[in-house]
Amino acid sequence: MFMFIVRRVLQAIPVLFMVSLVTFIMIRSAPGGPFDEDRAVPPEVIKNLNERYHLDDPLWKQFLDYIANVVQGDLGPSFKYPSHTVNDLIAAGLPATLELSFYALIFALVTGLTAGIIASLKTNSMQDYIPMSAAMVGICMPTFVLGPILLLVFGIWLDWLPVAGWGEIPGDKILPSITLGSVYAAYIARISRGGMLDILSQDYIRTARAKGLSTSRIVFVHALRGGITPVISFLGPAIAGLLAGSFVVESIFQIPGLGRFYVTAAFNRDYTMILGCTIFFAFLIILFNLLADIVLVWLNPKLRQELEARG
Amino acid sequence: MSEVIKIPELSQLEKGRSLTQDALARLRKNRMAMLGLYFLLALIVIALLTPWIAPYSYEEQNLELGASPPSAQHWLGTDILGRDQLTRIMYGSRISLAVGFIATAVALTIGVLWGAIAGFVGGRTDAVMMRIVDALYALPFTIFIILLTVVFGSSLLLLFLAIGAVEWLTMARIVRGQVLAIKRQEFVEAAISMGLSPARIVSRHLIPNVLGPVIVYTTLTIPSVILLESFLSFLGLGIQPPASSWGSLIASGVEVMEEYVWLLFFPGLILTITLFSLNFLGDGLRDALDPRASRD
Amino acid sequence: MHAIRWLMICVMAAGLLSGCGKSQKLVDIGNEQQILHIANGDEISDLDPQVTTGMPESRVQAALFEGLVARDPKTLKVVPGVAERWDISEDGTKYRFYIRENAKWSNGDDLTANDFVQSWRRSFLPALGNQYATSLYVVKNGQAFHEGKIGFEDVGVKAFDKKILDVELIAPTPYFLQLLAHHSAFALHIPTIEKFGAIDERGTKWTRPENFVGNGPFIPVEWIPTKYIAVKRNPYYWDAANVKLNEIRFYPIPKYTVEERMFRAGQLHITYYLPRDKLEYYKAKNDGVLRSFQNFATYFYRFNTTIKPLNDLRVRKALAYSVNRHQIVEYVTKFGQKPAYALTAPDPNSYVPEAKMPYDPDLARKLLAEAGFPEGKGFPTLTIAFNTNDEHRNVAMAIQQMWKKELGIEVSLENVEWKVFLDRERQMDYEIDRASWVGDYLDPFTFLEMFTTGNGNNKTGFASTEYDSLIRASALEADPEQRMFYFQKADKILVDEVPILPLYTYHWNRLVSKSVKNWYDNPMDYYSFKQIYLE
Repeated sequence: MFMFIVRRVLQAIPVLFMVSLVTFIMIRSAPGGPFDEDRAVPPEVIKNLNERYHLDDPLWKQFLDYIANVVQGDLGPSFKYPSHTVNDLIAAGLPATLELSFYALIFALVTGLTAGIIASLKTNSMQDYIPMSAAMVGICMPTFVLGPILLLVFGIWLDWLPVAGWGEIPGDKILPSITLGSVYAAYIARISRGGMLDILSQDYIRTARAKGLSTSRIVFVHALRGGITPVISFLGPAIAGLLAGSFVVESIFQIPGLGRFYVTAAFNRDYTMILGCTIFFAFLIILFNLLADIVLVWLNPKLRQELEARG
Repeated sequence: MSEVIKIPELSQLEKGRSLTQDALARLRKNRMAMLGLYFLLALIVIALLTPWIAPYSYEEQNLELGASPPSAQHWLGTDILGRDQLTRIMYGSRISLAVGFIATAVALTIGVLWGAIAGFVGGRTDAVMMRIVDALYALPFTIFIILLTVVFGSSLLLLFLAIGAVEWLTMARIVRGQVLAIKRQEFVEAAISMGLSPARIVSRHLIPNVLGPVIVYTTLTIPSVILLESFLSFLGLGIQPPASSWGSLIASGVEVMEEYVWLLFFPGLILTITLFSLNFLGDGLRDALDPRASRD
Repeated sequence: MHAIRWLMICVMAAGLLSGCGKSQKLVDIGNEQQILHIANGDEISDLDPQVTTGMPESRVQAALFEGLVARDPKTLKVVPGVAERWDISEDGTKYRFYIRENAKWSNGDDLTANDFVQSWRRSFLPALGNQYATSLYVVKNGQAFHEGKIGFEDVGVKAFDKKILDVELIAPTPYFLQLLAHHSAFALHIPTIEKFGAIDERGTKWTRPENFVGNGPFIPVEWIPTKYIAVKRNPYYWDAANVKLNEIRFYPIPKYTVEERMFRAGQLHITYYLPRDKLEYYKAKNDGVLRSFQNFATYFYRFNTTIKPLNDLRVRKALAYSVNRHQIVEYVTKFGQKPAYALTAPDPNSYVPEAKMPYDPDLARKLLAEAGFPEGKGFPTLTIAFNTNDEHRNVAMAIQQMWKKELGIEVSLENVEWKVFLDRERQMDYEIDRASWVGDYLDPFTFLEMFTTGNGNNKTGFASTEYDSLIRASALEADPEQRMFYFQKADKILVDEVPILPLYTYHWNRLVSKSVKNWYDNPMDYYSFKQIYLE
């Protein structure tokens, strides 16, 4: 198990390198530069700025210099926010984004799994149709529609919760977490229902049923482990999606998170900021995928044995 | 007497039916799935015929009229520039359905092949293939699609490819996970130990068992593709004006939902019904294709 | 059974939520404690007045700095700032400023004439890349120093003594005092800047709240990117006794729908703008929170006059004369804008352009036929490019329809991402594109200078020696009436030559809570935060 983790961590290094190379090539081939503005900037000024940030070096050199700095943990200065480094900005935006994603994930798991398991046990009854229809609505509803609707109902008409902010007014974290998490709750509900149904129709469960074991025992002792496997496979990408999707929620709820920086950095051609965020997000995503795999292995004894046999 | 005659006929019929026919017969019995199928077919026909049957032109403006609620002239109302919303939704369905189906087909093909091969072959091949998936996963695709549309300008073809390229990864993972899980189960292990050829194991045991989750995930992918397109519209990178997609209609409708609620409601409604239909059809197919489920 | 349990949980959750009662209103707390919550558009990039160029930055800087002169927010007339008075020589080229004895920096240092000299020197240093360096070219030898041709001792800005500043101009620039109220002419605390890097280094940490030293009524205390920047009262400000607000929080909110909701929920005193579709609602409500005023800014289209068929004046005229501006502002933009028929935005107190581009579809058709495209036949499909934005899109779609209807020609629309748009515009890689100009100071020069030959903001290929000489003459002219005469002629040339298609004069709508007092609207959208208070 330990070797498995070490191997995966080592594999992450070339992955991160490729990610930065691809991103670098893409952003540098996009037209327009970080210093273009509505009112024409005199060419001399652009020249001075390019010199100042070494944008006049050959591209390969810029890339290697950048990687050398990244290895030392320095993601460089931001072009758009000159008095901040990319490290500063990530440190400033990350807590809110992580916290938001975490709450959203908890919400998604709790509601999604509950609904999915209930539905799988009572197929073709109201306890199946209602949560599954709700899940479908959840999937159909883009966050940029759900967010404003929730805001309008709970923030303005009912006046129960604040419409913006993060940690400023009590309760301002509720609506954003629900907005971000609902799509994933819906996915988890559907996937866990499908996974549970698959397991429940397996012969060993039938045998257990035939033996007269209680439903709760079947669910929690036998079925759940296999049934939520697809959910766990889904969690890695779900977390990636949560982090990336936080942009919309952050901009609707005015949350000081990383997602807003990231997307606007692409529009601002803030090269270092895009690269820094990409590498950082890539790192997080690899980490969460690894965690999901560890759990998968742990849940499947045969895989575990195989790994141990291989060393 | 008559019963005696019927029995051989029936058994003959059973033999003559292929698996697919069997599945179709089961599907036909599922009323919701058939309803969804009919709705989708009707939608596709309308989308194809739109240029001939649309009540107005999709770009024809009536500035003096502006945004008006549903009326006898404009059944679903008009938008801010006085364009007929029914027409815009009809034209939008062409774009949205095309994006949904084509991009999903792209994702499905790559994802299933990739995941099945990785899971079935296992070992080093699996490791390499899944590391590639991990590497691609680690790319924040939202930004990549933004950068792609910025670099190459936004075009429909790019939308198909970019979205298809994003969606296949999850498919590959799910298929692989499922294949791995099934591979470990007694009946497959038995088949392997009995010396069945890999091709036979794949076609007789793996594919039928993987099909269920794949179909369920496909019914989820089409909506998420349609939604991804709408997200790009939300960022202003989707379909180019004056053309419209459901996504772009919804994205602009949500901004004015308190004033002109019909501009959000109708595109949202048609999207929801479509996605529900896809879902019922998917569930119906799943039940129909899964022989075990049908024995219950 | 399960369904019932679920229902109960839902009901309980709803009860819990409603138990929280009405959410706390930031605005009410702010009113008690004199804390102003104000939306500020996009995120500010920096606080260095010689580096930033945007409106959001300039609003924060207006609270953190004070120039030699300030402007009265009611009338936009120049009023004393750090300088309590000034003398102007008869020929209008020499200024002497008397800096207030009690003017201080926020660390207690005395503010001297030399601070201005050193700050202006910094603004010319090439490595700093100050984009407004050219605006101080009116100072004698400023340009030569900026281009590195001479030393700073020859530049026309000198400290006569500790509190007296002498400035010599190259010409009697009547808008010079207005320039001094602009953030690029503010004084900076040079020792603080040098503590955190070279004097001409951009983006050092001197602008961070913990390091910042300024001379305005407020000092920054907290700057959390994408959340807010908070500024507090500066005890060393010379007029601190008359500053009433304790704190201002500037929130970066790029989406207008978001800030409008925040305003309605009592989380903001002042919004930056207003979503267009909300205008009717607030007009109908008529509760005094809607502020509506014209801007010193014009919305127009550029024609690329270097390519066929737009190099033909008749084609440009045909396109321009067939656009019904009244319809655009009345039914498309619907935000109170006024149709514009010439480039310069009108200022009723000083200058209203007399030249007018006609709206005459018949003439337009005739001109198009003369140019070889009768009823639009054979006319190539041109593209209108605009940066991603609903309003630009709607205007473009309306114009597309007008040209189709009146001239029988097809144009395509292209929605271009902002930086790509700028890149193409700079390389003249466009046919027709959307543009706008916001005046830097209240004088037609800020608009008309743009279309001189080779000006970086011209971007149309338009070049006219007559036009250039009019603009040059206006810069050297001291007589106000004669200057306005030159400007009228310049505006007329643009109307006749049609390198651009003026569409409308901008109009601003925003929401200001009734508890905010002494807040005035003006066409420059210029604020003075020191008099504002909450009730």
